[in-house]
Amino acid sequence: MDRKTIMMNILRTVLIMVIATVAALCFFELSKNATNVAIIYILAVMLVARSTTGYVPGIIASLIGVGCVNYVFTYPFMKLNFTMDGYPITFVGMMVISTMTSALMTSLIQKNAILNEREKMLMDAEKETMRANLLRAVSHDLRTPLTSIIGLAETYLAGKEQLTEAEKSDMVTNIREDANWLLHMVENLLSVTRIRVGATKLTTTLEPLEEVVSEALQRFRKRLPETKVQVRIPDEFLMVPMDAVLIEQVIVNLLENAVYHSQSEEPIQLLAQVQGNHVVLQVRDLGKGIDPERLPFIFDGAGTDCNESSDSHKGMGIGLSICKTIIAAHNGTIDAVNQDQGVAFIFTLPLENEEGNHA
Amino acid sequence: MHKQTILVIEDEKNIGNYIETTVTTQGYKVLRGMNGTAGLSMCMSHHPDLVLLDLGLPDLDGMEVLKKIREVSQVPVIIVSARTQEREKVTGLDAGADDYITKPFGAEELLARIRTALRHGALADAEVEAVSVYKRDGLLIDFDKRLVQLHGEDIHLTQIEYKLVSILAKNAGKVLTYDYLLKEIWGPFADTDNQILRVNMANIRRKIEVNPAEPHYIYTEIGVGYRMKE
Repeated sequence: MDRKTIMMNILRTVLIMVIATVAALCFFELSKNATNVAIIYILAVMLVARSTTGYVPGIIASLIGVGCVNYVFTYPFMKLNFTMDGYPITFVGMMVISTMTSALMTSLIQKNAILNEREKMLMDAEKETMRANLLRAVSHDLRTPLTSIIGLAETYLAGKEQLTEAEKSDMVTNIREDANWLLHMVENLLSVTRIRVGATKLTTTLEPLEEVVSEALQRFRKRLPETKVQVRIPDEFLMVPMDAVLIEQVIVNLLENAVYHSQSEEPIQLLAQVQGNHVVLQVRDLGKGIDPERLPFIFDGAGTDCNESSDSHKGMGIGLSICKTIIAAHNGTIDAVNQDQGVAFIFTLPLENEEGNHA
Repeated sequence: MHKQTILVIEDEKNIGNYIETTVTTQGYKVLRGMNGTAGLSMCMSHHPDLVLLDLGLPDLDGMEVLKKIREVSQVPVIIVSARTQEREKVTGLDAGADDYITKPFGAEELLARIRTALRHGALADAEVEAVSVYKRDGLLIDFDKRLVQLHGEDIHLTQIEYKLVSILAKNAGKVLTYDYLLKEIWGPFADTDNQILRVNMANIRRKIEVNPAEPHYIYTEIGVGYRMKE
């Protein structure tokens, strides 16, 4: 225990005992009854044990309590005398009761601290496993495009003379596609590192929704300029607390997910509206929808590569699981819902910072 | 015609090669500085028309290099930075860099930034002031008459909104930081909180953009500032 806590302990003990004595004096003046005075002191001892660390302050407080009762409130007044008839039992009783409550209180506090610690360790471990799973899955998905990039580049260099111009330009186009895919992966990974382990809360700032949406769209169009997106956001000016880089990542992931998985050429819709104290954003496609059996696990980051072998863009599951991580860190919700045609990914963000939510 | 010279201060050989190839095909001459010290001395001796400065250099901090260049020269400097260094972009811009480009960047983006920076570099401040109209895709701003028109119709902006649009338009293509804009419009003692700026921008967008979520004229660079269409 350092000096500061010791000083704090002493200060608190003294303060509480002084208050108790004043209260007891008032009480005593009013009722002339010394029994209740003892109870006030026992209460004070409990409070001391609660607000200090270790057993010592509680025990000292109970000694002070017994001393005060004897000295001030019992005959002979302003004298210490433990020997009068019945007194020894009263004081020993008071001593025992206050010491025990103090001890009980202290051990309760300690147990609580241990429990909290264990819970935190469990949560950290869970986050750690999530992270490790993600890394494993991602490093697998990174190898695939890397293999094709390296392979194509080597073939190009080795066969420069034999290859036709069309073949060469095909190869370079493939390299560009795979490199873009890699970039997308790396950006997703980077966003995970922004959510630090141990930090209970993200650092959010108020951002205008329209600016975040427009920047996300800009990033998306840079990669997939051909895709049509219809955007509708509320006309009112809306500031939403968030980490803008992360929310942009969510929007981009959902849009790209719609492009690759809907198997539809219809425009994608990006809608935002306010519902109560949340803003609700939706990314809708008019594609084939999602197998209802897979729907509950769609954000788990797994399952994409087991039965959908025809899918050339694996790893989108990781994109979705990252979306979930990001939205959860914002205290929002994210769901995938099949529509009459296609699927809607819906996420919500609270409009107000819920202070003390994690206290 | 005299070829414009671009000094590339970049330690990664492959990126340097990429920039050199891209830029040479467009008729610029390229100088390469492989680290901060070499880059600085080349900047002093060759007087390039533009500097592309990578922030992550092995010997000197890129920001140091930028400050040293600014001590002696007003040559346009474009910072090359990685996506994660948002703070650095802002500090760089506020320390006198003309623009930034984020890795990874495409050839077209790079060339567009270079063209913009060279043009702004060629104009002295007085000449920037002398530019009298901005005209793009149906948006017309007449700085002398303080007039804004969209497809021939007058747009009514408040004083502050007009100031904001005209500063961006005079620097079209260049990103202007929140801090710079706040100081230019509200003066040196302005609140550092950029909320007021963003509220004004939202109002402007409602007047000149078809859909504020898909701006056509004024782009957002979140965490950094705004850029008006060239």
